[in-house]
Amino acid sequence: MKRFDIKNIKNKIVFLLLAVILVYFLATQLGFRKIMMPDTAYAQGKGISDEQLLARVINGEARGEPYEGQVAVGAVVLNRVRDPRFPNTLAGVIYQPGAFTAVSDGQINVPIDPNSTVVKAARDALNGWDPTNGCVYYWNPETATSKWIWSRQIVKKIGKHYFAK
Amino acid sequence: MSIREKLLDFKRRLSDRKMYSIVIVVIAAVAIWGLYQYKHAADLRQKLDNQYNRAFYDMIGYVNNVETLLLKSLITSTPERTSAILQEAWRQANFAQAYLGQLPVAQDVLANTSKFLTQVGDYAYSLSNNTMSGRNLSDEEYETLQNLHGFAASLGNSLNELQDQINAGRIKWGELEQKGTAVFQKASANVTAQQFENIDKTFQEYPRLIYDGPFSDHLVTAQPKGITGDMLTVEEAKEKVIEFFGRDKVESVENTGKNDTEPIKTYSFTVKFKNAPDDQTASIDVTQKGGHPFWMIYNRPVNEKKIGIDEAKALGKEFLASRGFPNMVDTYYLSEDNTATINYAYKQEDVVIYPDLIKLKIALDTGEVIGFEGKGYLFSHTERNIPEPAITMEQARAMISKRVDILSAGLAIIPTDYKTELFTYEFKGRYNNQDFLVYINALTGKEENVLFIINTPNGILTM
Repeated sequence: MKRFDIKNIKNKIVFLLLAVILVYFLATQLGFRKIMMPDTAYAQGKGISDEQLLARVINGEARGEPYEGQVAVGAVVLNRVRDPRFPNTLAGVIYQPGAFTAVSDGQINVPIDPNSTVVKAARDALNGWDPTNGCVYYWNPETATSKWIWSRQIVKKIGKHYFAK
Repeated sequence: MSIREKLLDFKRRLSDRKMYSIVIVVIAAVAIWGLYQYKHAADLRQKLDNQYNRAFYDMIGYVNNVETLLLKSLITSTPERTSAILQEAWRQANFAQAYLGQLPVAQDVLANTSKFLTQVGDYAYSLSNNTMSGRNLSDEEYETLQNLHGFAASLGNSLNELQDQINAGRIKWGELEQKGTAVFQKASANVTAQQFENIDKTFQEYPRLIYDGPFSDHLVTAQPKGITGDMLTVEEAKEKVIEFFGRDKVESVENTGKNDTEPIKTYSFTVKFKNAPDDQTASIDVTQKGGHPFWMIYNRPVNEKKIGIDEAKALGKEFLASRGFPNMVDTYYLSEDNTATINYAYKQEDVVIYPDLIKLKIALDTGEVIGFEGKGYLFSHTERNIPEPAITMEQARAMISKRVDILSAGLAIIPTDYKTELFTYEFKGRYNNQDFLVYINALTGKEENVLFIINTPNGILTM
């Protein structure tokens, strides 16, 4: 009987370990849930596709940020278009592989409400408002994984993001 | 052993705990591997879709550029200008074709569109070479350009429709590969077939055209000229902020940081207002030197529209005059969501100075200014020594293509791509039911720029 008890405990430990590994794996790879989200339809504004694209990037990257932070993210994208170190078109900057996590994991495809603030923020950014005074980088200090980004000259902090040149 | 006996034997073995746990482990391992593979595939799919989206957006942009440039080439006044514009049209057509090639659509469907873009590019290039030496376009060449412009316009429209469909999720890139291509075929249905030689050239990247008003996107000079005054402390700057909004409106001002990077050093503030909820605040940056407002955003809800655009323009002008920005005139506006964004330029004597640009966002319920953008003004504004024009207005008018009807005329200083300024005559004209701004250099008589104006329900747009 003793032998049987030990086996029981060993098995329980094995199951527990497996369960923990599975849960950990799923938790850290939570990103895959966003990819699996379907591309639902939303109303497309007539003609101004730049505004829609920029709004979707802002939505993916700065959804919970204050309005100023959303305009700032839009301004960073536009500053990159003008900067010789980055691609020369809006789509080029946005879809540059690895540039924005919201693009890499599909959040950019989340439909946006045409009346939401991200559309207003995109419009202000396209009209020239730049709360960052010319920055081309931004990151969230709590989630940034790149060490290199900290070597950039920080200009200011808006909401959760540092902005840098 | 027979199969039945083998199965019974397996079942018996399974009920042995050890066997059971091994099987569970194996299933779990396979499940984890399966999930990983799925995620990996979804990741790759996303990367691929991003590439397609980028190529598609860029291609549409370039096709629109080709259409714009062809239209401009129809109204430019001298063969040299025509040549320069056609050369740009050729480059843009090449880009459009390059990105077209990256799309996941079958080659035979894209063939017509691709051919059209190549031929437009080639034709533009050859015409460009012909007119470079000073020869005007023949009537036949002119008519061909008109036709090409028409086709480019209809291609652009079809592509915009297609983009709507993709954005709305009705078409996915994956489907396009299998289901094809009805829409793409339609897009290329209107293109013409013309025989030209294929010219192979190398080319560089080209910046996109601006969209938010004439000269609002020009390169700023290295050292800002418009920042006068002494270096202020934070407290002194706070006073300037209160004055900017109005002492009787402001409840509190909080300093949220400062920016010491060149070229413009600023202090940042958050402002709370009386009679407004605490979380409804305005953000503003003022320059450390002189306390000039750099930009301001006050994102409050604007739920109705009581004021018309003309009154808004006047209110804005009055606001600027009272804040130390006299002599500003409105040059362009955009109205959306019960607000109006109006561009103002400084006017010295009777010359409109576009580089000294300020944008105001005005709420159309109360006429309150809820946005301010003064980068252009701060960088460029000085009292200028404006010379006398070397040619008369009539002489300048004569430099413009006869095909354009002139509606109004004036003097202006415009910025160039090379961080310099030019003194010009500004003519507003109409061609083929489209409005244009033509700039003729007031000292040399050379045509410096042509912008065409698109009237939308929301305001006027220049390209």
